[in-house]
Amino acid sequence: MDYTWDFKVVADNFPVLLRGVGLTVELWAVALVLGVSLGFLISLGPTSGRRWLQLPAIGYVEVFRNTPVLVQLIWFYYAFPILIGFQLSPVAAAILGLTLNTSAYCAEIFRAGIESIARGQWEAAKALGMTRAMSLRRVILPQVGKRMLPAFTNRAIELAKVTSLASVLAVHEIMYQGRLLSSTYYRPLEILTVVALVYFVVIWPGSWLSARLERRLAARD
Amino acid sequence: MRYQWDFSAVAGHLDLLLIGLLGTVRIALISIVLGVIVGAVLATMRLSGRRSLRFPATAFIEFYRNTPPIVHFFWFFYALPIVIGLNLDPYAAAVLALSTQSGAFYAEVFRGGILSIERGQWEGAQALGMTRRAALRRVIVPQALRRMIAPFIERSFELTKTTALASTLAYAELLYQAQQVNSITFRPMEVYTTIAVMYFLLLFSASMLARLGERRLARIG
Repeated sequence: MDYTWDFKVVADNFPVLLRGVGLTVELWAVALVLGVSLGFLISLGPTSGRRWLQLPAIGYVEVFRNTPVLVQLIWFYYAFPILIGFQLSPVAAAILGLTLNTSAYCAEIFRAGIESIARGQWEAAKALGMTRAMSLRRVILPQVGKRMLPAFTNRAIELAKVTSLASVLAVHEIMYQGRLLSSTYYRPLEILTVVALVYFVVIWPGSWLSARLERRLAARD
Repeated sequence: MRYQWDFSAVAGHLDLLLIGLLGTVRIALISIVLGVIVGAVLATMRLSGRRSLRFPATAFIEFYRNTPPIVHFFWFFYALPIVIGLNLDPYAAAVLALSTQSGAFYAEVFRGGILSIERGQWEGAQALGMTRRAALRRVIVPQALRRMIAPFIERSFELTKTTALASTLAYAELLYQAQQVNSITFRPMEVYTTIAVMYFLLLFSASMLARLGERRLARIG
């Protein structure tokens, strides 16, 4: 235990780590926006009442939720290009994998939210002459929006952590930079500890806000 | 786009993949057991009246919940040995990372279950002359256990999926074995698709079993 800590190597390479954080945030933002949007589209399947739309959507969600996300990323980087005939860059494969994975979880959130609204609301909207799309947009979604918010903030936090797996595809985000630096300078203790702290500092405020929001919404009901 | 699927390469090395599957199940089971122990200790600390116990447990839980698992894996494998002056093999490092990380999440499952029991139950037990300890053991915990089952199972599934990260430390679980088979056969499409199916079957059949068990428990209770 008489190890002498030396944070000089971290201080010298701080710009490298910061660039990694930048890419981590980019991955997170892009995959979140795309994943939520795609998740909404997919959730229209199970809630449509049509079997030929229901089954593929449920299958999609189950496949992504019952396999490890690391396997999904590796599949999209190493296997998928064979299917489509051209190589994907590590960033593209990571964004594709993260987006599809997030979309599966978001589809479940939308489905649960939409199904939590009583049937009578749909029927009343129909009685007023609204189409299905219109009732969804003007009657159902405004009511579930708030109810789904905590689930989405939790998903966003999960996604922030999952972006670290892109390092396995050699995407130069913070975890990759940390691995690279620690093998270059033989200072894994300092560097990996700092990487962990950086993640904590970035993610913890989000968790804190999300928990506060959840409590406030629960208190209002 | 006319890709010729050829699973004979996978079939020839199925034994390697099955060894990997066994490795996955083994590391998942032991980490669940150790994680439950860590979680129970943390939950007890966090529920105790003493600040000196509550604070470290809360800090531990918050740290693990807000940092990515891959950082824990690397930290335990590359950084911890420097602190303790002892090298860990990939298996030990992976089990440590998984069980401490899932311990943090299990602690919240246990704490949530106990806090969900109404105050009246505590007061009723006290009125019967029970001490706090006796009330906890004979009144609160038996009721809380039933509410913990669903989130406990969900966490255990997350843990099982997270075992795939042990491949980055070269522990011979399913994903690592697949990477080995891939480097022998150069058939990423078939190999990674096969293990995705294997993960799916493992998790999907386990979730069916869990649902069955849950229903049976609900009937008894």
